[in-house]
Amino acid sequence: MRPQEAARIRIRPRPILALVAANLRRLSRDKVGLFFMVIMPFVNIVFVGMALGGGAVGAAKLPVGVVADGSDPVSAAVLKELRAHPDLAITTVATKQDLQSGVREGSLAAGLVIPAGSTRLELVMTQMNGSGMAARSAVDVAVGRVAAVLEATRAVEAAGATPAQAAARVREAQAGSGRVAVVGSGTPGATPRGFAYTAPANLLLFTFINSMAVAAALAESRRLGMLQRAITAPVRRRSVLAGEALSRFVVAVAQSLLIMVVSSLVFGVSWGDPLGVAAVVGSFSLVATGAAILVGTLVRSPAQAPAIGPPLGIVLGMLGGCLWPRESAGDFLNSIGYLFPHAWGMDALLALTKPGTGLGTVLPEVAVLSGMAAALLGLSLFLFNRRTRTFT
Amino acid sequence: MTATLACTGLSKRFGDVLAVQDVGFAIAPGEAYGLLGPNGAGKTTTISMLVGLLKPATGNVTVCGTDLAAEPLAAKAKIGYVPQEIALYPELTGRENLRFFGRLFGLPRRELAARIDEVLDLVGLSDRADGKLGTYSGGMKRRINIGAALLHRPEVLILDEPTVGVDPQSRKAILDGVERLVADGMALLYTSHYMEEVERVCDRVGIIDHGRIVAEGTRHELVAMVGSADTIELMLDGDVDGAFDKLQALEGVVEAVRTGTGSVRLLAEGGRYVLPAIITAVDGRATVTAVEVIEPDLEATFLHLTGSKLRD
Repeated sequence: MRPQEAARIRIRPRPILALVAANLRRLSRDKVGLFFMVIMPFVNIVFVGMALGGGAVGAAKLPVGVVADGSDPVSAAVLKELRAHPDLAITTVATKQDLQSGVREGSLAAGLVIPAGSTRLELVMTQMNGSGMAARSAVDVAVGRVAAVLEATRAVEAAGATPAQAAARVREAQAGSGRVAVVGSGTPGATPRGFAYTAPANLLLFTFINSMAVAAALAESRRLGMLQRAITAPVRRRSVLAGEALSRFVVAVAQSLLIMVVSSLVFGVSWGDPLGVAAVVGSFSLVATGAAILVGTLVRSPAQAPAIGPPLGIVLGMLGGCLWPRESAGDFLNSIGYLFPHAWGMDALLALTKPGTGLGTVLPEVAVLSGMAAALLGLSLFLFNRRTRTFT
Repeated sequence: MTATLACTGLSKRFGDVLAVQDVGFAIAPGEAYGLLGPNGAGKTTTISMLVGLLKPATGNVTVCGTDLAAEPLAAKAKIGYVPQEIALYPELTGRENLRFFGRLFGLPRRELAARIDEVLDLVGLSDRADGKLGTYSGGMKRRINIGAALLHRPEVLILDEPTVGVDPQSRKAILDGVERLVADGMALLYTSHYMEEVERVCDRVGIIDHGRIVAEGTRHELVAMVGSADTIELMLDGDVDGAFDKLQALEGVVEAVRTGTGSVRLLAEGGRYVLPAIITAVDGRATVTAVEVIEPDLEATFLHLTGSKLRD
């Protein structure tokens, strides 16, 4: 305890990590906060996802609808192959419109239109979720087998064999490829349904809402005098600001990662290009961090933060399509949604689930989110800095 | 010898209010200095400038010769500051709170663990170290609050009202601990609303009022300022003006001051013996409804210099 010993102590300020560790530990003790971070997002994903038709994703068989106009041999052969496929559950649908509707709503992973007397089949799918892609693959295999049989039979008959002889020969050598064309026909304006939609929607919704909620911890630190006391340590003021900001950012990223990992493993959600997803989630987490510090700085008491932040997060989530598909809202509301980060985040995350997309596809959205993050972080840190300068 | 903590010409203005003006004092190693003043006198503003929370408009602060403005990190590393409020995380345990502050002060991990144990022992909370702070009594929180300022072995400990709202047992533990630290050579700046604490702990006292140090010295020096006269506080009912004239002329009364509509303060040699004469002097003009004789002590000096009691 002798002060003379102080000279021997090597002062190595680690304030940023100390603040992050303390804030995360505080959060880990907050049972209500943890419920909203760990449980609530998945409750939302499951129930809303099932309501939107995602309950079948991850089931043993993929539901595929078929419109078969005739009973010609080709239609019969294709249907037989599809029904024999172990991964598909085939449902006969009356019209192409019904088929598109089923795919759009998510009750069908994909659909196939088999016109009478034609070898030109039409595949209906959204191509925006994993189940759709899996269904397409299975349909391709089944149709390919029929095409191969047709082509082989035609070749043997051309060589002078009778139909019976040709059939026997083909059965001997069921190989080769056919000219049966499979053309894709995406449902117009379709967005993913089921978990493929609710997982990214709830990622954005809960990352933002929970960031808003942890703003209360910042206000509480101020009320307790912890920030003031931290500044009396051999610590630069900007280190304290950075520590508080990083704490909120880590929470936002952790929330996002949790939703991504669990939704991938449990619900089979495919998020797309990792680099693109990282850019979107990172920039959105920065937006949430800026908003959290802003709210935490502006509120007068810790009780005000949860009263303001989460409702704000829900409203922005509504406008951004996180609570329901945006095509359910009108153009006016959707236009307003683009004033806020959620709509940009949703666009980017949904785009990344399409095959062949990557960071380049979502650069405009990432740029907008980064701009919003810069503005919010700049403003919030300026106000936070000003407030900590007036401690008395 | 270089003072451990020294300030000169400190001033701070908030809008039109000059909260602190030209405050200066120095504390030597192993010296305990008490800063006394009524609410709003400028104590907390002065301390805020000493610990680097507020930038003074004028004046400077040095800690062991290191200028706080020029080398803030080096100067602050030598200060242990215990704020008036309990600035700790209630969700964390006592040990975790101490670890947080130790890391803020840059203590290496291994040394920090040992220092935390030492400090917990010093504040008498080793057995409750792993309980959440929210479950502690007010006194226990106060003790951890002080412990957090001791982890880095500061040269000077600044305690701002450290015993507010604590039970007698915790108060005793805090004061005993503070006395041991001072005996070990640590400089101490102490503010309190409890005069007996200041008289017990502090070697010298500065009395601050309206932002200025109005008197400074040892207890004996300060008490001597008001001489050996007792202070007599009277509450009168009736012809107070007439009674006041009589009291002013009374033999043995050194000074008489009207402090309110019906209140009078007298400074009188041997106050208890003058009391019957005082009663007689006002008799017929006014009735004495209350009387208090305050013998010369720090409280009386404070009252004399600031016109108010410390706990007003």
